[in-house]
Amino acid sequence: MNILIAARLAFSRIIATKTRSGLTMLGIIIGVMSLIALVSVAQGATSGIQDQFKGLGARNLNITGTTNQSLTTDDVKEIEKLSGIEIVTETVSGRVTLSSNEASTKAQIIGVDQNYKTVVDPDIFVGSFLPDVTNASDARLIVLSTTLATDLKLDAYSIGSSIAVGSTEFTIVGILDDADGFGTRGTAYIPLETAFKYVAVPPYLSSITVQTTSEEIVPEVTTNLTALLKARHNITGEREADFVITDASQLLDAIGTVQQFLSLLLGGIASISLVVGGIGIMNIMLVSVRERTREIGIRRAIGAQQSQILTQFLIEAIVLSLVGGIIGVIIGEVVAYFLAQLGQWNFALSPTMILASLGFSMFVGVVFGVWPARTASKLKPVEALRFE
Amino acid sequence: MSTVVEMLNVTKTFGEGSSIVKALDGVDIRIEKGEFVAIVGASGSGKSTMMNLIGCLDRPTAGLVKVAGEDLSELNDKKLTSLRNLAIGFVFQSFFLLPKTDALDNVATPLFYRGVPAKEARKKAMEMLTKLGMADRHTHQSTQLSGGQQQRVAIARALVTEPSLILADEPTGALDSNTGKQVMDLFEGLNREGITIVLITHDLDIAKRAKRRITLKDGKIINDERDVA
Repeated sequence: MNILIAARLAFSRIIATKTRSGLTMLGIIIGVMSLIALVSVAQGATSGIQDQFKGLGARNLNITGTTNQSLTTDDVKEIEKLSGIEIVTETVSGRVTLSSNEASTKAQIIGVDQNYKTVVDPDIFVGSFLPDVTNASDARLIVLSTTLATDLKLDAYSIGSSIAVGSTEFTIVGILDDADGFGTRGTAYIPLETAFKYVAVPPYLSSITVQTTSEEIVPEVTTNLTALLKARHNITGEREADFVITDASQLLDAIGTVQQFLSLLLGGIASISLVVGGIGIMNIMLVSVRERTREIGIRRAIGAQQSQILTQFLIEAIVLSLVGGIIGVIIGEVVAYFLAQLGQWNFALSPTMILASLGFSMFVGVVFGVWPARTASKLKPVEALRFE
Repeated sequence: MSTVVEMLNVTKTFGEGSSIVKALDGVDIRIEKGEFVAIVGASGSGKSTMMNLIGCLDRPTAGLVKVAGEDLSELNDKKLTSLRNLAIGFVFQSFFLLPKTDALDNVATPLFYRGVPAKEARKKAMEMLTKLGMADRHTHQSTQLSGGQQQRVAIARALVTEPSLILADEPTGALDSNTGKQVMDLFEGLNREGITIVLITHDLDIAKRAKRRITLKDGKIINDERDVA
């Protein structure tokens, strides 16, 4: 008997016993659904973060001081002389109270130079980012994150109005789009020179970001930077450096690991319900074999080989689990879509995940279908025919 | 004439030790091609065991059983199953049509198991249903057919494989006398076409329609009579 006929038989049998088949499949449906939904949560939540780091650029190297007085503006001048460096941007930061007419809040103020916009490319919600103020002595301009603007009870029409940074009046030039900027929540940006006046002590910097001319030379530049800064900071031998250099790849790797771990953890939990679903199928198939003993006897009498009976029951179990798997994938993706809306990450259909889920549910069908199918095929025709 | 069934000193026992039961006890028969034989006996006479042996559903404890030239004792389950598929056309008392399956596929199923392509198998099945006057019911499932109609479908299923013999176990037992008579007419007609028929029954009136009657009692043949042509 060819597989097609066995599959057709299995389908018509499943349709003929709709309620029972539906209930049998429920375990697999729920298993696959949770597998798809949970793994998509793990991937969606982390890929959002990953995208934001990618936004920082694979060519970027970030140097942070481990103390308040590790990095200086003189370091930057020397770094700019290294080869393979496209552009350097420096930042300082401090915590200050911001006050509008209606509210006030503590905020992280970051002073940035004119290169910052090129290197980091922040997303603007309304207005513009800080203009080039290199030659202005006291440019009291500020860009707020949306979160901050909301905390201060400001809106899109607040561009051009002023708020107090500590006790000094600043003019708002732009509001950032928080949704896309990692670490920008609760942050405000002002020009570097201005920052040195109001929130930080020159010449100390909190971070330096270097953009290399190409992605390939990132490791080389990292080595050179480390050597340069160690020499400048008089760090020799085993002494620990007072700065940390990170590039996007390290962060991406770290997030990738978290993502894998989360996917495995959540996927593992969901797989347990798939196995439980498989046991449900086995249970029903065993009952079905018993109920259909006489049918098996008839089939054996008219010439069905043991292998053909085995195939028939195995296909039935596989069809049950596979149809359950397909329904589970559909529901799971719908759930994943709504979770993505809720969590504000990108929803993406993962063909690998879908195929893996279907493959796994089919595997469950085979594993838990074999025993009932073997039981069916081993029935003695004479006894099976006599079975009432 | 070629021999379809041959039994030599066949014994079949069930159980062990003190509870041993001899269902057949030294039976010898030969059934030739084209015969119409009724195997008659009360319940417990051994006729079901006889049917199982002729039908290649079981093997003898001792003695020789040859069906279509094959010694059953030498065949494994796979070969025995193939022999059933090739040589035997079963007709059962309760029809035993496959559930959830239409008449056409019921008839085609033995060919499916033989590996005949579905299209060809259904074509042959349709021809057989047409021959038995059931063509217009080919899409019906067994629950939608009367007893007589079900038995016709079952006979079509038995004939479709062009077997060496039709083995009918109380084929009229579940039918009213009129329908039962029609089924027997059908068997007579088929036998006239040269088809070998072995009928298992306890009903002497039915047995009278056969051309030869083998009577069993307590596992032994007590009578073997043929109509004189």
